[in-house]
Amino acid sequence: MQPDTSAIPIDPCKHCGTGAPVDVHFCPRCDRILTLGRHGDYFTFFGLRRRLRLDLNDLEQRFRALSRLFHPDYFHNSSSTERLASLERSSYLNDAFRTLRDPMARLEYLLKLEGFTPKESHDATTKVPQGLLEEVFELNEELEAIQDMRAEGASAAAIALRLSAARRPIEANLARHEEQLHARMSEHDARLEAGDPEGQREALAELRTLLLERTYLMNLLATVRREVSAGEAAAS
Amino acid sequence: MSKVVGIDLGTTNSLVAFVAGGQPAVIADESGDALLPSIVSVDEANTVYVGREAQRRLLTDAARTVYSVKRFMGRGIEDVKDEERWFPFKVSGEAGGVVHLHLGEREFTPPEISGFILRELKRRAEAFFAREGDFDPEVAAAVITVPAYFNDAQRTATRDAGRLAGLEVLRIINEPTAACLAYGLDKRREGIVAVYDLGGGTFDISILKVQEGVFQVLATNGDTHLGGDDIDRLLVQIVAGDLGLDPATQADAVQAVRKAVIQAKWDLSEFDETHIEVAGVPGRAESYRRHITRAEFESLVAPIVARTLEPCRRALEDAGLSASQVDEAVLVGGSTRIPMVRREVERLFGRRPHTDLNPDEVVAIGAAVQADILVSGRREMLLLDVTPLSLGIETMGGIVSKIILRNSTIPASGSEMFTTFVDSQTAVDIHILQGEREMASDNRSLGRFKLRGIPPMPAGLPRIQVRFQIDANGILSVSAHELRTGIAQTIEVKPSYGLTDEEVERMLIESFEHAQEDVDARMLIEVRNEAETIIGATEKTLRRPDFVEIAASQLTPSETALIHAALADLKQSMGAPDRNVIQVKTAALNQATQHLAEVMMNWSVQAALAGRTADEVAAKGR
Repeated sequence: MQPDTSAIPIDPCKHCGTGAPVDVHFCPRCDRILTLGRHGDYFTFFGLRRRLRLDLNDLEQRFRALSRLFHPDYFHNSSSTERLASLERSSYLNDAFRTLRDPMARLEYLLKLEGFTPKESHDATTKVPQGLLEEVFELNEELEAIQDMRAEGASAAAIALRLSAARRPIEANLARHEEQLHARMSEHDARLEAGDPEGQREALAELRTLLLERTYLMNLLATVRREVSAGEAAAS
Repeated sequence: MSKVVGIDLGTTNSLVAFVAGGQPAVIADESGDALLPSIVSVDEANTVYVGREAQRRLLTDAARTVYSVKRFMGRGIEDVKDEERWFPFKVSGEAGGVVHLHLGEREFTPPEISGFILRELKRRAEAFFAREGDFDPEVAAAVITVPAYFNDAQRTATRDAGRLAGLEVLRIINEPTAACLAYGLDKRREGIVAVYDLGGGTFDISILKVQEGVFQVLATNGDTHLGGDDIDRLLVQIVAGDLGLDPATQADAVQAVRKAVIQAKWDLSEFDETHIEVAGVPGRAESYRRHITRAEFESLVAPIVARTLEPCRRALEDAGLSASQVDEAVLVGGSTRIPMVRREVERLFGRRPHTDLNPDEVVAIGAAVQADILVSGRREMLLLDVTPLSLGIETMGGIVSKIILRNSTIPASGSEMFTTFVDSQTAVDIHILQGEREMASDNRSLGRFKLRGIPPMPAGLPRIQVRFQIDANGILSVSAHELRTGIAQTIEVKPSYGLTDEEVERMLIESFEHAQEDVDARMLIEVRNEAETIIGATEKTLRRPDFVEIAASQLTPSETALIHAALADLKQSMGAPDRNVIQVKTAALNQATQHLAEVMMNWSVQAALAGRTADEVAAKGR
């Protein structure tokens, strides 16, 4: 079967005018570095499929190899168009590497790419995710009780003990979320390999929920930590 | 083809280096000295002195002499007021603006003073290439190093200094990274490297991953106001207190004290005890002498050394590594000669740091290697550095919205959308900041600009994308366009602590007007430099705690007396305007100390064989 090339977006080379698919880094005809006009995404830039589990050593090697191709150091005596292309392509490469090497940033990025724009993530700090209602309710009660203890002059040690007890269930839940996230990521990749876009989107939808809850749990932990340091400040 | 050199523009000393035949080397001046003291002095006739001659003028005309100008680069008056009174020159400036240094009736900005130093290095390199019989000795461009923790204003000020010196600054690179490059080149090492760089005025820690010829900085941290200068000031304050000196009115005397304490500091890296000696203090018949032990010195500088450890921990944390994962620790900067610094670094990283390259020269060597990469286009080696501080803009309520995070690999870019709040609004004010704090007022202001030419539309409708680009030098540029109409916006950033392009242009012209090249004066300076070298070496030997013992067993009393007489004679003649007089007396001191030099050589060899002071011998061999 002939690959369908009509779907691949083409950008012209500013030097010789030859059309090149986006995410080809150098002009196939004149070999000059291509300006970063329209581009694909971080995954295709690295020559990778949209997988959520990446081999970090492989990613790093690709990063080094591409750095060696684009870096402004090597375009010092080139035309200003090429110098700009090198600067933009290097910047994009660095952004892409920073995002893809971190599993959670990678997931967030893929969700956005696949149209799961986490609009709700903006409210993640204010709106409690459905699955965590009970947990949040209990923690808030605990924190109030601890504030009362402090007002009544309870010992710092007693407060610290109560606080660490309060954070334990959240930490356990967070660990569960991490586990589930990784399992779902593997599932997503398996669906991708199997050519099952439906299953892929299902996995992504679940991942989005898990990611939101994880963010929320992290914020809760930060709240407890603030409470701890407030206690320490009051004690000293 | 004109040459591209590597320059280490240091707080205390500056150097220039070059790669010839694949081999990098520092370029020495006519008398064989590679270190150029970063000191500039301007006399009544507007003649500018740089280096050793300016250093001498610190003792006779301190108020017209600038040292440690690097501490003022890209800074405001409010940043330097704590230490200003210990500097011999007057400092002024408006809050939030560039600092002005007063030398007599003239005023200079820090980039101009640094420009004089760069121009001297350029001249030195050109003289070297001419001596080598090079067809085209001109030096037109350079790679200049800066502390990794320098912010945008400090980097831009350094680039301006290069322009003022008539150099095209091909690249600004970070000092610890340059040092790592020099080391990597030497040893072909791979793995995680921590570079601890404590210089005259700045401290940097950089954590790098070296693999397949790529030197990738993972994280950097530091303090651009911490170094040997701070140690010197502590010592100066003690002695000035003893002598009742007032820095405001007795600048020359304070500089004599400063020279003496620096000598004592150096001594204490080799010996367990020494004396701080200041001759000719005004209002005192005899010279000042104070005994100081290494233990006393260490308890004095411990807080300064301790201040370097927190940035080390933060850099490791940002790199996601523990100290034990560091494969190599490398020491850079003159202040790492202090034994206590070496001990603390060893304790932190759990391994003996490398000191095999000269800590004064390694940064310039790395800069020369980078210059060679840029010119040759060779791809075996590549530096991937990071931006040390987060970049953001001020938003509603004075909060900072971060656009590019610290320790992002450069080049890096980021963008932010802006819109209007009022119908038909055609301009938006944007305030750019650098730093890690949440409130805008706690961060360093890089500049403000007005986004103009927005097409009149109802409030909230325009979508203006502002793009922030940090280039491979770590320097920011800003561009913007309105997305609905595609109209590009003109942006003129008013730098908070920098010079505008027009100001640089004007200074460029001024500096040409005042440039003076006097061959006779230069030759006199060279003769004085040579004399000073031998005076320094002789005095250092005479000050050794074991000198009395050595002299008693190895020298005749008349030899010792002759040395003292020749030394005093030469010192007396240093101010003479006739260089022949100085030359004759230098030769006399050389003659008088010839036997002493042999004795000292044998003494250190025997000490090394006895094994008890191997470190001492190694330190001397540096």
